[in-house]
Amino acid sequence: MRYFLILSLSLLSFQINAQELFVMTEPASNMPTSSIGVRDMSLFAFKKTDGYNYHNMPELMWGVNKDWMIHASAFLSNKQGDMMLEGGSLYAKYRFFSVDDLHSHFRLAAYGRISTSNAEIHQEDIETMGMNSGYEIGAVATQLINKTALSATVSYERAFNNQGNIFPDEWSKSAMNYTFSIGQLMYPKKYTSFKQTNINAMLEFLGQRLNQNGKSYLDVVPSIQFIINSQARIDLGYRRQIYSDMERISTNSILLKLEYTFFNVTN
Amino acid sequence: MKTDIIIKRFIALVMLLGITSSYAQISKVEIMATGLTCSMCSNAINKQLKAMPEVEKVMIDLNNNTFVVNLKNNSLVTPQMLKSNIEKTGFFVGSMILTMDANNVELKDNSSFKNASGTYVFVNPDEKATNEKLRLKVLNNGFVTKKEYKKSAKLLSKYIGLGTQEGTYYVKTI
Repeated sequence: MRYFLILSLSLLSFQINAQELFVMTEPASNMPTSSIGVRDMSLFAFKKTDGYNYHNMPELMWGVNKDWMIHASAFLSNKQGDMMLEGGSLYAKYRFFSVDDLHSHFRLAAYGRISTSNAEIHQEDIETMGMNSGYEIGAVATQLINKTALSATVSYERAFNNQGNIFPDEWSKSAMNYTFSIGQLMYPKKYTSFKQTNINAMLEFLGQRLNQNGKSYLDVVPSIQFIINSQARIDLGYRRQIYSDMERISTNSILLKLEYTFFNVTN
Repeated sequence: MKTDIIIKRFIALVMLLGITSSYAQISKVEIMATGLTCSMCSNAINKQLKAMPEVEKVMIDLNNNTFVVNLKNNSLVTPQMLKSNIEKTGFFVGSMILTMDANNVELKDNSSFKNASGTYVFVNPDEKATNEKLRLKVLNNGFVTKKEYKKSAKLLSKYIGLGTQEGTYYVKTI
């Protein structure tokens, strides 16, 4: 598996020339100060048996100042039958380092998330974005060079008991996450106006290792992104497991993300 | 008592005249922003600049991330204000060129002039430049790329001496 990763990365690095508005992870850069973003993510998580669970996560995002941004999300799903509110989370990110040049930058940020969920726990993998109550703290580094963006995240994630559902004692309650994302601006080759639709292609690798028993998984998420009118975003991605030795509900899923940014709202 | 008021008023009047007579305001600014390559990012800067009340019009070269900002008559915008507005969007200034009326300004190395937007110190100016409309590139830290500032730091140290003062800009004629 490791070879597969190295091979795909080296293949990509030859032709990549994009953007860092990643679908699965956040870059080290923040939203502009006083802008408000609204986002809605639909996730179709295919079950190992048959059928799929539908998750919906509306999210509100705010650029507090040039260094800080915060997100508030709600988690809904139809796992129990009807669409139900299962929980929510608060997320904050602090950009603490920037080196910018004409068409490039390198940035570092630290972030944290705290989540609550009342979902039943059937999976060993820890996901505070919609599955587990708990918290995550991490650091992200992002490099943009011309039209290519590279980003890597390392984080520690800790699960608590979900509301009304106990986290099994025999499972690992904490994990380390590793992500690596590549984004490339595909279109336009040359800008003529803000009205032009931008198309970005992304490839993201999401890995987790459980601290108490060493079990791990690695997923890959190819996605395509459309930026319309320099203000709205449509992301379409497919998440697929490359390997795993842990018990998971879903090993592949389709996600659709819609996002709109309102600039200069809280000036 | 009464003479006091008259003197105060007189001083105020003189100061007012003083400001207006040296009123060589900035009429246009060309800003190149750094650290971005996507149109959503440039749109953030575009919206930020347009939200400034002093700004009349913003024209953009998307491929070079250059924003040509026309300012309203008698606006009191300073280069520092423009810089902090760019930085609010999460990006930085890579170059800033000011266009201003500067009648009777002496174009001499290390000479300076002052107007409502700040104090400007000439660094190796083109002494033969025509003197009606000046195009001045700001050389201060934060107004050029880090690389460029490093390169010019030695040259600038001759002018800066004991350190920069708020509102003092080191400029090169363009």
